[in-house]
Amino acid sequence: MSLQATRVLSRPWLVGLREAIPLLGGYVPVAISFGLIAVQAGFTAWEAVIISTLVYAGASQFLFVGMVAAGSPLWLVVIMTLLINARHVVYAPNIAPWLTTSRAWPWLMHGLTDQVFALAHARLPQLPAAQRLGWFTGAALLAWVSWIGGTALGAVAGEELTRRWPLLGEIMPFALPALFLVLLAPRFTSRRWSLALGSSIAIALLLAVGGLTNAAIPLAAACGALCFYLVKCNATAKGGHHE
Amino acid sequence: MSSALWLAVLVSAAGTLLMRLLPLLWMRRRLARLDGDERLDAMPQWLGVLGPLMIAAVLGVSLVPTTPGALSWLATAIGVLATLAVWWKLRSLGWPIAAGVAAYGAVVILAGLATGA
Repeated sequence: MSLQATRVLSRPWLVGLREAIPLLGGYVPVAISFGLIAVQAGFTAWEAVIISTLVYAGASQFLFVGMVAAGSPLWLVVIMTLLINARHVVYAPNIAPWLTTSRAWPWLMHGLTDQVFALAHARLPQLPAAQRLGWFTGAALLAWVSWIGGTALGAVAGEELTRRWPLLGEIMPFALPALFLVLLAPRFTSRRWSLALGSSIAIALLLAVGGLTNAAIPLAAACGALCFYLVKCNATAKGGHHE
Repeated sequence: MSSALWLAVLVSAAGTLLMRLLPLLWMRRRLARLDGDERLDAMPQWLGVLGPLMIAAVLGVSLVPTTPGALSWLATAIGVLATLAVWWKLRSLGWPIAAGVAAYGAVVILAGLATGA
């Protein structure tokens, strides 16, 4: 379906479900890894599934089970988990102008992960208002269920799966960067945005390669924002156009 | 799990949900005072800028291969090019992703065959 399409959709939840399918390529292999690691860290399969159901935040879940397994104090485990997830505070306000008045929206925010936000941020403005709740419900539910299902699969049969199909866990996660690329590509509309987005991507990549994966997202976004405003200041100082 | 560990899970879950939910309620209250086009201007500019940049940062992190190495980076580069090429041609959501994963997977499998041969 075209990203520009705004035609009336008869079953918006089904469209949301379909458009969230690329997320599975990234979610399921990572969720399988989480299930496997949680069991190896001493959690039962049910406990791993409950963590995935309730916390539902990839990086922080890995940190949670890792710190618990290492014997870290629980107050520190909770603080670190919440710190990693702090980036989520900017997501909902960014999509809020396109949300309807339904009371279901606040509860649906449980499904507002990095990936669902990226998808919703691109798609919600293109959908008619009446279709947005259904679309988001379909997309967010599929992502959530795939995360929970992947965790269960990893906890029960993770070792067998990774032994039998070692390449699957290596290849399928590329669906996530591919999805983000497609969502971001239309935003390279000006020199200013290109520099800001390009620097965010490059800095996040370098920080992640350097082992600072958890700090990479907020730091890189902050650097990109700095770049965005510096380009504006520079253009204003020269009296030229910055867009 | 011990009771303390259950409590840690519940506090982490509630905290994460609140970080996703409370900013929405704050923004909704802000928007409720405005109408029409004004609603789009209600968001502080820095917040509107930060949204796409967060997605860009998540992209940067996700570009790092699961098992880093020269071949994985080559596969990533080819996957990125394939994704962008198909997106440029079709401007759609699904096919560029399928093409990117297929290109990435083809490089990984071919590299595996070449090194195994």
